[in-house]
Amino acid sequence: MSNRYRLTRAAELESLTIFREFIANACREQGVDDDTTFGLRLAVDEACTNIIQHGYAGMDPGSIILDLRFEVDKVVVDLTDFGRAFEPAEPERPDLTAPAEERKEGGLGLFLIYETMDRIDYRVAPEGNILTFTKML
Amino acid sequence: MFRNLKVKTEPPQHGPLPGSIPVQQLVGDASLPVSVQTVNSLPENSKLRLYRTLIPVDLLAGAGINPRTWKDGEGVTRVAMDAAEGSGKLRLYAWAGEDPNDPFFELELSDNRFNGIDLNFLVLNDPAAEKFGIDKDENGALTHFGTVYRNLGEEERAMKAGLAPGQTRRGAGSSSEVFARLEAFLTTMAHQAYYLEPVSYVSAWVFERRGFAYVTGHKLMDTIHAEFKPGGTLYTALDGSTPFRQEQQAGTVRGRAWAIHDGILAAIDQRWDGLRMVKQIGRPAGVNTALDAPY
Repeated sequence: MSNRYRLTRAAELESLTIFREFIANACREQGVDDDTTFGLRLAVDEACTNIIQHGYAGMDPGSIILDLRFEVDKVVVDLTDFGRAFEPAEPERPDLTAPAEERKEGGLGLFLIYETMDRIDYRVAPEGNILTFTKML
Repeated sequence: MFRNLKVKTEPPQHGPLPGSIPVQQLVGDASLPVSVQTVNSLPENSKLRLYRTLIPVDLLAGAGINPRTWKDGEGVTRVAMDAAEGSGKLRLYAWAGEDPNDPFFELELSDNRFNGIDLNFLVLNDPAAEKFGIDKDENGALTHFGTVYRNLGEEERAMKAGLAPGQTRRGAGSSSEVFARLEAFLTTMAHQAYYLEPVSYVSAWVFERRGFAYVTGHKLMDTIHAEFKPGGTLYTALDGSTPFRQEQQAGTVRGRAWAIHDGILAAIDQRWDGLRMVKQIGRPAGVNTALDAPY
């Protein structure tokens, strides 16, 4: 059984369900536990939403390439897109104690990714913008 | 590791500008990319040795052309290379008849402004196949393969003969070898990806099968596929109003391509414009936006 999986879909919200199912199936094939699978799906969901809503904003959306690599002690996820690149910025932790109507819009997605993944890297390369999550098993 | 990201407003520049890479880079760190402009600054014969690897040998041999000398059996030159010093563009073309402007093979590469490579143009025709005059109008003026002007009579003839929009002759069927050669060449030049703009729906479909993803236009391709299904807006717009808008065209990639060439995307407020594709070298993206539609 291969330990590498790849799926490419348009950067649109309708693709999120397909990515989620793809991750679930790959994790099932690789015998990954439900909590890890949930975390991976959540992280990919939030990252793809960012790419769709910000990276490809104002453009006819291109592709998002999802790569999964299962190793003995970790799962590595690469998300490649070709929209506008992101750049690191100072963190702004969302105020989860504030009433929903008073919370600042956005920001929760990245917070969730950092809460569920063990390592996150981002690089802008000639072959695309590549966001990498690592989840230790 | 960082904790947050914000969108950049400008596209990234990867490395130095193509024109600023010195020819000495060819003997420097082999992991750093070299531009077309840099290769073009080499002596003529050095360029020739590098660039001729881009043309499929069988394609030339099949046309009676020596792949090493680029001459036919009569000693007549049949292949040309435009790669002027100072230019960031390479054009290779081969012709079988008397007219070099009627090539059966043509490839144009150029540096782009992000220190990457664009494949601007690729023609792969069977030189022995019938020629369709879609490239010139009734007065002999260039139509730019039907993208600027159209020769409707010749286009209809080409469509009925099984050609795709923009084709003057039946294809040579060598595109997989050309892309393999191109990737090998660009790896030699230490590039990691290259880009192109598909001229037609058929082109985009072929490039998907060659492993390309979309920088822009993936959603449009999904929309086109959905709208050509029975009941869709594009399916409905195949109303027989022109020879290029017949109902049976909805089911094939080529049929859809001719309808799109005829402007049918206006029915969904779209144009065939601005699509851009990318190939990561050595990594097929696995895109297939026309799942159940044959060529």
